[in-house]
Amino acid sequence: MGNVAFAARALCQGLEIPYVMPEKNNKGTLVTGAYYSPEEICLPFKIMMGNFLECIERGADTILFVGSCGPCRFGEYSELMMKILRKMEHDIDFIVFDMSPEIGIGEIRRRLGKVLERSPVSLARKLSAVKKAMKIQYLCDRLDRAAYLKAGYEARKGGCKRLLNEYKARLYECQSPEEALNILKLYVKKLASIEIDKSKKPIKIAIIGEIYTVIEPFSNLNIEEKLMDYGVSSERMLTPSWWVKDTALKPLKLNSLRVSRAAAKYLPYPVGGHCKECVGEAYLAGKKAMDGAIQILPMGCMPEIIAKSILPTIQKDTNLPVLTLIVDEVTGEAGFITRVEAFLDMLSSRRKKPDMAS
Amino acid sequence: MKIGIPRGLLYPKYHIFAKAFFKALGAELIISPATNKKILDEGVKLCADEACLPMKVFHGHVAWLRDRCDALFIPRFMSIEKNEHICPMFCGLIEMLKSNINGLPRVIDEPIYSFHRDKLFKWARRAAAGITSDRQRIKAAFDRAWDMQGRTSLGYRDEYDLKIALIGHAYNVFDEFVNMDIRKKLNKMGIGIVTGECVGKSDIEAQAAKLFKKPFWTFAKEYYGAALSIFKNSMADGMIYLSSFSCGIDSVVTELIKIELGDFPFMVLKLDEHTGEAGYNTRLEAFADMLKRRRAGFDNNLSQYGQCGICRTRSLPGA
Repeated sequence: MGNVAFAARALCQGLEIPYVMPEKNNKGTLVTGAYYSPEEICLPFKIMMGNFLECIERGADTILFVGSCGPCRFGEYSELMMKILRKMEHDIDFIVFDMSPEIGIGEIRRRLGKVLERSPVSLARKLSAVKKAMKIQYLCDRLDRAAYLKAGYEARKGGCKRLLNEYKARLYECQSPEEALNILKLYVKKLASIEIDKSKKPIKIAIIGEIYTVIEPFSNLNIEEKLMDYGVSSERMLTPSWWVKDTALKPLKLNSLRVSRAAAKYLPYPVGGHCKECVGEAYLAGKKAMDGAIQILPMGCMPEIIAKSILPTIQKDTNLPVLTLIVDEVTGEAGFITRVEAFLDMLSSRRKKPDMAS
Repeated sequence: MKIGIPRGLLYPKYHIFAKAFFKALGAELIISPATNKKILDEGVKLCADEACLPMKVFHGHVAWLRDRCDALFIPRFMSIEKNEHICPMFCGLIEMLKSNINGLPRVIDEPIYSFHRDKLFKWARRAAAGITSDRQRIKAAFDRAWDMQGRTSLGYRDEYDLKIALIGHAYNVFDEFVNMDIRKKLNKMGIGIVTGECVGKSDIEAQAAKLFKKPFWTFAKEYYGAALSIFKNSMADGMIYLSSFSCGIDSVVTELIKIELGDFPFMVLKLDEHTGEAGYNTRLEAFADMLKRRRAGFDNNLSQYGQCGICRTRSLPGA
């Protein structure tokens, strides 16, 4: 899932737990995953299933997975994955962390213990490993964010994109959390030194939608990179480090207050998934007078379908054009690009004639 | 005051309660007609394309009622059992309707948590706010409606030699337009229908408890539990799951059921606004034929539905 793999690997390295690093998501992953998954399940399930099968092939014997307790489908992933893997006769230890009130704190501790008992290092080093992993995640997200935003302003086109790809390739090869941190720090500096042209007024787009498909570039056909190529600045609130913060603050109900407040008018009750975030971000993007928003969702995602129904109202209220892109395993790249290009054309001509209706 | 009740979604489950309650409060009721082509077409036009068929049908019913009533009763079911949810679409249904349909009258949209009588009574007090302020009357209306709902039961249990278990959402199983009167079609072929309502609550819970994680969707728990109880107690000869296209719950539940059933005849019928009746009939007839031959004992030369999907071999097709 996007850059989470780097942080997760750093955690395993720090805890000295043997791990299998999945390959970067590719067509093969999806084909394998989709073949063994139910037909109508959403895209993230299929990609994850592909990841698991690839890792099992390469010797993984334990899968760590997080769960939720609804009402979105994600909470039922673990159940279905376990059953499918068992049916395929893979003997896999499937450890699920979820926050269901039914399993109780004892069971969560037991499951956590099952993971930690494999780690030979001391408690202090365990904690430091967790800290480093979080730091890596945070830096990755910061780098990505800065690069996507800067791409519209850079004086010589392509610099941000090159740096992004470079740091990812180097992180993929790196062997220890310390090395990863050094690479990241270096690239934060490198990115800061990229020359920008302040006179440019690039189109600014908010990327909103379902969390997996916005974070994992493979699932959204690399939309952020494509936008960089067009010289468009993009912004996205949902990142893995946002998720960590959001989950930690949820019990206190202090999570993403700004977005919740913005969404309350359109969506007074929780519906699950990240529908509230999607609606709230769209509203805020409209208030900030961004040029447009692109909503990305996997085919059949229930919370995002609700969001999609509400977005036209927000478009009317804030004059923000929204393009909805639905992805699944048969999404063709050419048609996808055509739609994005048409949307961008529309946004730039809208700038020239602000009174033109969208 | 005229209150409109759309005959869509969980209407078959709650209509007795809703009708009794609002009538006793002194409101006049207007109920949309049984689903028909016009209602469906209107709903398809108004609703988001990606939503499931029942949501579109419901949009059609609401559009029909729009100019015919002073207030609309649209239940916002949040949870019908403790610590469980129903489909997320139900929680956001009202927002979808308000966004998609212009000029809606006042909507009685208080959230419903109906797992406890007191919780539901709280809803009743808020829902009655615009109709009457007489607390005694609200209490009496609620008691009466609760009582009447408690005495009703839903579901089919046909006495035929060959029986098919019909599993699925109430709005697919009991809406004769949406499912093209599957019961009549099957009865004509000499096959009876058993629905999930014949299975007791304790049996459902017992089956669901065998899962690694208790499903957080009440629907998922009910269908899974009912399907497996029917299968384990041999209450039917085959099983049909009526599923709406792109239903998130069904995509999980049908798989979970399929994995447990082995070679028990199981068919998933997908419904959406493009479902043609001819193809639907063909599939039903083929399924019925298969059951009859199976009963007669020469089953071997037929394909076994339900065995593909996740096959035991790990090679991909063509590889």
